[in-house]
Amino acid sequence: MPVITAYPEIRVDSTPFVVKSAPDAVDPATDTLTDHELMIAVRDGDLGALGELFERHHGPLYGFLVKLTNQRTAAEDIAQTVFQRMLKYRHTYRDDGSFTAWMYHLGRRCAADHFRKHNAAPAATDPASLQDHADDAPHAGDRAATRDDHALLHSALGRLDRDDREVLLLSRFQELSFAEIAAILECSVGAAKVRAHRALRELRDTYFRLQKEKPSLS
Amino acid sequence: MNCTEAQEKFADLLDGRLPEGGTADVRAHLASCPDCQRQYSSLAQTLAALDALPAAKPGPGLRKNFYAMLEEEKNSAASVAAAAARHRQAHRAVLWRWILAPLGAGALALGGFFAGTRYAPAPAMDAATKQEIASLRQRVDSVGQLVGMSLLQQRSTSERLQTVLATVDQKNPDQRMISNLIGALALDPSTNVRLSALDALYPHADQAFVRSGVLATLPREQNPLVQVAMIDFLVAARDREAVPELEKIVRNETIDRVVRDAARRGLAQL
Repeated sequence: MPVITAYPEIRVDSTPFVVKSAPDAVDPATDTLTDHELMIAVRDGDLGALGELFERHHGPLYGFLVKLTNQRTAAEDIAQTVFQRMLKYRHTYRDDGSFTAWMYHLGRRCAADHFRKHNAAPAATDPASLQDHADDAPHAGDRAATRDDHALLHSALGRLDRDDREVLLLSRFQELSFAEIAAILECSVGAAKVRAHRALRELRDTYFRLQKEKPSLS
Repeated sequence: MNCTEAQEKFADLLDGRLPEGGTADVRAHLASCPDCQRQYSSLAQTLAALDALPAAKPGPGLRKNFYAMLEEEKNSAASVAAAAARHRQAHRAVLWRWILAPLGAGALALGGFFAGTRYAPAPAMDAATKQEIASLRQRVDSVGQLVGMSLLQQRSTSERLQTVLATVDQKNPDQRMISNLIGALALDPSTNVRLSALDALYPHADQAFVRSGVLATLPREQNPLVQVAMIDFLVAARDREAVPELEKIVRNETIDRVVRDAARRGLAQL
């Protein structure tokens, strides 16, 4: 690998970057049940329990799918299909299963089916269209710079292979272990880690190259 | 630790899942290597940017569609469950009508019978009663015979054959044994056992009930070998009552030609 010297320096003693996927508001009545218990209930015929699982997970799932596909409409369609398949294949949910891993497994399959059906790889979205939504930047002054940064990263993400994007995004979900990610991707744990790290290096290279190419944006 | 080793561990260091303990040596190397610091910091920065991407929020359509789909599935699941319940109920009704109800009635009758014999005063035996008892006994005997036959069925073919052959050796087999032989002729699945049973019946062909037993069994028999043997038996016994049955066989073109020839020959002799 070429030695990269152009990157800005950052303090290295910072704590590891940990993502907590923001959970949606949870109904206190069913709050006590775990995802797994809820899905077991769905499997055993209490279909209403899927509503609680939807409320807990559709946000992160949708976010994942948007980043994966770069298409908001496709992401909504795929998320819908994922919950549809949960109902349809509820009998296949295993007693020793992990709901989140199962959900992303279905998500990945549904996304693949979606692209096969539409016979096209996901097109990179015009980053400008993504700025119309949910931008949490608190200060108007920071906004332009943040937007540009997000737009660059979106572009960089869009240039990764879908497989690379997939493993990288999955690896940022802290509730998934690498064993589960490996199960979702149907490969070994070692291979999943190597792929995730390779994807991160590739994203970094593209991201910093774009930053250099458009100095006026950063 | 050299740079290559350290950079191989970056993935672990950047991954928040791992305990701090395993990364101390990487951090030590990083503290003294500006090149690796740049590598690491660029990766960390990229991840930070990735994690900082605003979470896209789905439109209201996703939730609406989901709950519509859930309702639809609930309704169809409910209708499937209702159909299954109806099916189970119908199944229970059939079970009750054809099996449990007759069994229940039988049990009630038996119960009544035993209660009657135990508690009712013994009636004075007149001639009619004696006759009735005799006929009851006969029926019980025929039930015993059925049980005997079913026992005959349960053994292996060679054991059943032995049983039949043992009957042949007996000088004066009793009525029950002869009934068993007719039963074997009528019911045994093995051709050999049926043929042996017929052989064992030859010495008793002078008894009318043996002849009528063989004659009654003839229409049910499917094997031409046994059919011909039966016809020969009836002809040898000079059983005139076999004539209509033999004529039927001669006329029936679906029956094996050898069997029809045997029947024709038999008719000529009778």
